[in-house]
Amino acid sequence: MDLEKLRKTAAEIVSREDVKYLIGWRQGTFGYRAAPCFVEDAAGAAELTFSPLCSANLATYLTLAEKLPVPRGKEPDSRKTALLVKGCDSRAVVQLLVEKGVKREELVIIGCPCPGMVDRALLAEVIPEESAPADLKWSGGGFVLVKNGLETALPRDRVLAEQCRLCRHPNPVVSDILLGEPVQPWEVGPDGGVDEIEAKDVADRWDYWEEQFSRCLRCYACRNACPLCYCKDCILDRLNPTWINRAVNFSENTAYHLARAFHLAGRCIECGACERACPAHIPLGKLNRKLAREVRDQYGFEPGLDANAEPFQAAFKPDDPEEFIL
Amino acid sequence: MSEQFEPNIVAFLCNWCSYAGADLAGTSRVQYPANINVIRVMCSGRVNPLYVMNALQQGADGVLVSGCHPGDCHYMEGNFYARRRLGLLKELLEFAGVDPRRFHMSWVSASEGHKWKEVVEKTVEDARAAGPFDQFRRRQIDW
Amino acid sequence: MTEKPKLGVYVCHCGINIAATVDVAAVTEYALTLPNVKVARNYSYMCSDPGQLLIKNDIKNEGLNRVVVASCSPRMHELTFRKALQEAGLNPYFLEMANIREQCSWVHENRDEATAKAKKLVAAAVAKARLLEPLEAREVEAEPAALVIGGGIAGIQAALDIADAGFKVYVVEKTPSVGGRMSQLDKTFPTLDCSACILTPKMVDCAGHPNIELMTYAEVEEVGGFIGNFNVKVRKKARYVDFVKCTGCGDCAAACRMAGRFLSEFDAGVGKRSAVYLPFPQAVPAKYTIDPESCLFLSRGKCGKEPKCVEACRAGAIDFTQQDEIVEFKVGAIVVATGFDVFDARRKPEYGYADYPNVITGLEMERLVSASGPTGGKVKIHNGVEEIIPQEIAFIQCVGSRDKSTGNEYCSRVCCMYTAKQAHLIKDKIPGANVRVYYMDVRAFGKGFEEFYDRVRREGVRYIRGNPSEIFRRKEKLVIKVEDTLTATPLEDEVDLVVLAVGLEPRADARKTIELLRLSQSPDRFFLEAHPKLRPVDTATDGIFLAGCCQGPKDIPDTVAQAKGAAASAMVPLARGKVKIGAQVACVNEDTCRGCGFCAAICPYSAIEMVTINRMGHPVEVARVNEALCKGCGSCAAGCLSDSIQPRSFRDRQILPQIAVLGVLR
Repeated sequence: MDLEKLRKTAAEIVSREDVKYLIGWRQGTFGYRAAPCFVEDAAGAAELTFSPLCSANLATYLTLAEKLPVPRGKEPDSRKTALLVKGCDSRAVVQLLVEKGVKREELVIIGCPCPGMVDRALLAEVIPEESAPADLKWSGGGFVLVKNGLETALPRDRVLAEQCRLCRHPNPVVSDILLGEPVQPWEVGPDGGVDEIEAKDVADRWDYWEEQFSRCLRCYACRNACPLCYCKDCILDRLNPTWINRAVNFSENTAYHLARAFHLAGRCIECGACERACPAHIPLGKLNRKLAREVRDQYGFEPGLDANAEPFQAAFKPDDPEEFIL
Repeated sequence: MSEQFEPNIVAFLCNWCSYAGADLAGTSRVQYPANINVIRVMCSGRVNPLYVMNALQQGADGVLVSGCHPGDCHYMEGNFYARRRLGLLKELLEFAGVDPRRFHMSWVSASEGHKWKEVVEKTVEDARAAGPFDQFRRRQIDW
Repeated sequence: MTEKPKLGVYVCHCGINIAATVDVAAVTEYALTLPNVKVARNYSYMCSDPGQLLIKNDIKNEGLNRVVVASCSPRMHELTFRKALQEAGLNPYFLEMANIREQCSWVHENRDEATAKAKKLVAAAVAKARLLEPLEAREVEAEPAALVIGGGIAGIQAALDIADAGFKVYVVEKTPSVGGRMSQLDKTFPTLDCSACILTPKMVDCAGHPNIELMTYAEVEEVGGFIGNFNVKVRKKARYVDFVKCTGCGDCAAACRMAGRFLSEFDAGVGKRSAVYLPFPQAVPAKYTIDPESCLFLSRGKCGKEPKCVEACRAGAIDFTQQDEIVEFKVGAIVVATGFDVFDARRKPEYGYADYPNVITGLEMERLVSASGPTGGKVKIHNGVEEIIPQEIAFIQCVGSRDKSTGNEYCSRVCCMYTAKQAHLIKDKIPGANVRVYYMDVRAFGKGFEEFYDRVRREGVRYIRGNPSEIFRRKEKLVIKVEDTLTATPLEDEVDLVVLAVGLEPRADARKTIELLRLSQSPDRFFLEAHPKLRPVDTATDGIFLAGCCQGPKDIPDTVAQAKGAAASAMVPLARGKVKIGAQVACVNEDTCRGCGFCAAICPYSAIEMVTINRMGHPVEVARVNEALCKGCGSCAAGCLSDSIQPRSFRDRQILPQIAVLGVLR
């Protein structure tokens, strides 16, 4: 990725009259982090970056943007939002278009073909994270860490994030401007994380998830980080009716996580934001990927690829599977 | 031998086929286990998949959703939506370690009183075999 | 709205129907312990006047604002009790029923178990009733017109009755003529009056009635809407003969290159017709039709130099450029009278129907004995050597009826009597003939039926109790292998002609009608009525009624009676001019709706549209429900991720407490 081109393009876009701001990534202030940022001028554009640390899904911010009350007599701000998208971010945008969460004419989409992101935890296992910010680059088939002026090569398989290893769509599926050349999609192996659980018998699966869900703090970071969990008033927060109690205990936690996963069935674009956001390191991606796999294999549908697709949960086929029905 | 475990089943029945089928079973005096407790909804399409989860959490050992046969839905398509949603829910529950014998879905028409009996027996037997589902019980109940 | 709920719980004994298995006193006592319950009573028959009075008095005297009735199925008496609430000045939708009869006392024997379950069901009903909301039933205009599907005797009779009452009727008949199966019959049992003589005037009336618009050779393509406001789309198939110009002279049929080459549907395959044809001489309308499958010009694009019919028709009515025409109209009620098919005797191969020309069906026999039939009413057959008048004639009963192996467990109800009638006609036409009837049981249950059966036996028709196992040929004769079960004698009877008394079956295209009108089928595959005893002409869909054999086998008097019943029922909304629309429709919380449009995509009735509203100065899309179109199925609600759309009376906040109660109580 040519960062100069990225910054120049971004500067041009934010200087446009009809653009409110651009959502991108910049170098973080701590260790192996890149931070999402809102760029409103050329100075901001100069800070933009795109590196293997930019795993945050920027589509999330499209629906998080608060719509402040418009004073009487004033028109609402109808300027466009520009954003940088990787493959997964772009799929989230497409799914938002399907769900009318955003309007295409209100977006300027800058596509960034993505060779894959690192998993910060894996990276820290190889080279411990320190407070000073470090930079990471793609190089050849792997990554190069630039820290204190020293470059360390890292094999791709060692530090590549799980969702990226399983990624089928590394190139943006929708964009107005595509930066750089599309990357060659890579061979996607079996989803070991999901297979491993499927291989267990049902009681062992329960025990596995009991161990996981018991650690949940119910901070809702998974929900808030998800680009497709954007209801202003989540039903799981409501008191009337009460779907889940506020109490943090295994029963309510399980109910919360199953409901969350189910609401994303046929919608999840497998970006892994939920799992990255989880402070308790619950492997939430496995729940989502399991459902995404069933939707793909049994129903022949993959969300976030076609903005004109019927929403999966609001459609059916007469020959949908029904072997499970008595 | 210790006393046999009696599972508690919550069932959601569509008004036009399955509820009518269950009524027919009654009119025909077909006998079946009393473990089943029916909630009437207008269409199986009304059954929010989270109801199933909620029932298991609230104390049910098994859940049944029953609607019209495909093509016979009083509302034309409701059962097709139910089939897709609940099929996925079943996958999710199984993946999460919920015994597949705890959740069933069936097509029972208004004329299938005997099928209703069979479905109830199967649901109850399966839930009995799966045992009490205490692990998932809601801790406090304030109704 | 914030008024505190005050509930009354009424437990019905239903005589001993409930009380024998459920301890109603214990259930009543238990109900009093439930939250917000002020009054709980039990009574022998809650649905009776004194029972309803109990409720009404408590509403007035105790200030109840919600009522729970624990009795039979809500499908039985919900309306009764809603009415009682209304009469006592309470909103009728403040009622919840616990089904402790059909789904409790009648299906569980153990008194303790049944009582415990009844308590749970009452508790769940109380939990929901506390949260019920007042609803208003609305009314919309009803179109004062009816659609009758099928132009057989049932359809004709229903159409005439509705039209005579002054309403517009559209009759849609698939074949080129009205008349249906009855027009194929010769005489009718047990009175022996000529079928055509009594039917033809009705056919003519039907076509000529100022209020009836008859569409023959047409099919209903689409039905949308609801009672009072059905939108109907009909395809009038191209006849390739100008309906106005055709004089019905028949010159075209005589001239047709394929004259007499095709089996006549009307003559049950016994007679022949041309490619251009009138189904039968008395057909109404008396207009010719070209069958596009058998017409050379239409099927191959070429018929000599010029089709002969074009030359022959002096009226210039032949028009090969005709196209199907789509007609749309609106009706308030629909009568379904699509009739039946006769059992295909090839499905009983042991009777050799497919192999031996002298094994025929009852319907073929009708055409054979009919004066207007292909043989002019003379019973003549060809035995392989010469044309003869059969002397040994056998009838076999219950072919395709009361027979699990064919999938038809039911009795077709007409075969015993039409066999007796045909046996009589044979005796009449061939005085010396030896007529035998092989039967399982003779069912002669109608007015004058038993007397007729007696008469036929006195005329010398022999009834042999036995189900033939096989029919095979021996020289010019057919041999029937059968055991006379009354004398336990194995027989091999040699006969000239075998008539199979084939039963009645649902039409082959019944599935299409079901999908078109969203009907249900009973186990015998005929259309299902709303209630077998009390609503025999209604269907589960308001405004759609059944008449004739599409609902189950029946004879002509029963068919006509049912058609008159269906007509009377269909006229209720038409005469009133208004219909009630369900109050339990969906509603949207626009504050939480995120405008994703899932509900609008799901709704099978297109009752939801997305509209733009102003939310704090921002234009946002939200869902809006057209209450006249919404049927309250709730599929939208289960698909809404933010629970912003909810069907009234079946909201999440009303159902979740039910789940909680049923789950918690063990």
